[in-house]
Amino acid sequence: MKYVCRICGYVYEEDAEGTPFSALPPDWKCPLCGAAKSDFRAEEVKTAEPSPAGAGYAQIGSEEKSTEDRGKKGADGHEGEYKELSYGQLFAVFSNLARGCEKQYRQNESKMFAELADYFDKRTPAADTADTAALSAELIKDAERYTQLRAAADEAADRGAARVCVWGEKVTAMLSSLLKRYIEEGEDMLSGNGIWVCSVCGFVYIGDAPPALCPVCKVPEWKFEKERRATK
Amino acid sequence: MKKIAVRNLRLCTKDCLCLYVCPVGATDTENSIIDVNKCIGCGDCADACPSKAISMVPVTYPPQQQKTEKVCAALFNMVKQKSEERKVALAVAAQTDKAGLKALMYAFAKSEQLIAEDLMREAGFMLPQSANAHKLLRSLADDPPEGFPVKTALELLKLLPCNEPEEN
Repeated sequence: MKYVCRICGYVYEEDAEGTPFSALPPDWKCPLCGAAKSDFRAEEVKTAEPSPAGAGYAQIGSEEKSTEDRGKKGADGHEGEYKELSYGQLFAVFSNLARGCEKQYRQNESKMFAELADYFDKRTPAADTADTAALSAELIKDAERYTQLRAAADEAADRGAARVCVWGEKVTAMLSSLLKRYIEEGEDMLSGNGIWVCSVCGFVYIGDAPPALCPVCKVPEWKFEKERRATK
Repeated sequence: MKKIAVRNLRLCTKDCLCLYVCPVGATDTENSIIDVNKCIGCGDCADACPSKAISMVPVTYPPQQQKTEKVCAALFNMVKQKSEERKVALAVAAQTDKAGLKALMYAFAKSEQLIAEDLMREAGFMLPQSANAHKLLRSLADDPPEGFPVKTALELLKLLPCNEPEEN
């Protein structure tokens, strides 16, 4: 019997390993990405059908309507009218463009976009909850949201959008898994360990050192950044 | 397509072949950054570099891939979701007195930001020179929310000429 990590795809082969999967201790982790034992699925069992509820994605339909109301549209619709974007979205647009400039070796323009991003970040309303359980619930619902996003990408044969789904879904699944563990295990889970974030895809890894390759986007370990803000 | 050479300092092993082959001395600089004003885009340095630290990048980028409205709308919504999750993570980090949780939530916020940025990249904002980016900057400069750095937006429009036809 084989068991597959739903985050990085690592395969645990019972025959090769010599230990039945069920006999592994509950705190056993994926040797590649550090996902919890509960993130593994038996290979024979196909992943369950997405829940028909469309949990939390109703808002997507309602938002789509607002894009239909737009006036002049190019082939790609959405240009420009910033008022149709929330401040949180505008923050993401500009922080992304700052990164885009960085990749083009345009440090000066990158800083300028970062200034615009910061403007919108500071004005984005704070969350109305600071509850880990609420965050955990949203991360779990994201699995279904990604299923729907992926369907839209596939329908348009948009492989770039499909790619962003593959990465985002896995990274989100890891966040979900880590938060679930934290809620169960508390601070012990993190004591003596570093928290590493892949600077390319956002994958979060708990351990002494980052993985040699990012389990999601496959960049080398030097692309990981250690989270240091709380150690001050 | 005119190109210029750029050096990735992370990969550069200082074999200095680029200094030997550059016909205009653009690679020999005090800060190791190739002088864009001297570079003629011949590519000899990139060919000679044993550590593959030099790449030739276009001066003008081709237009980015077009996206359908439906895909963009779906991506925008996921960005909204991710932005909200980021704010919750930041709120938890700000409130908790547990060092581990604080660090974990800062890491989550960073992760959510990267996911949101990546989604935006696929939602028609891959290139800073794109018509979408220009329209957005212009609409903000024309009708700015209070305190918006208009000068910066206008300066960016000048520094990054649009690389595709802008509809009007």
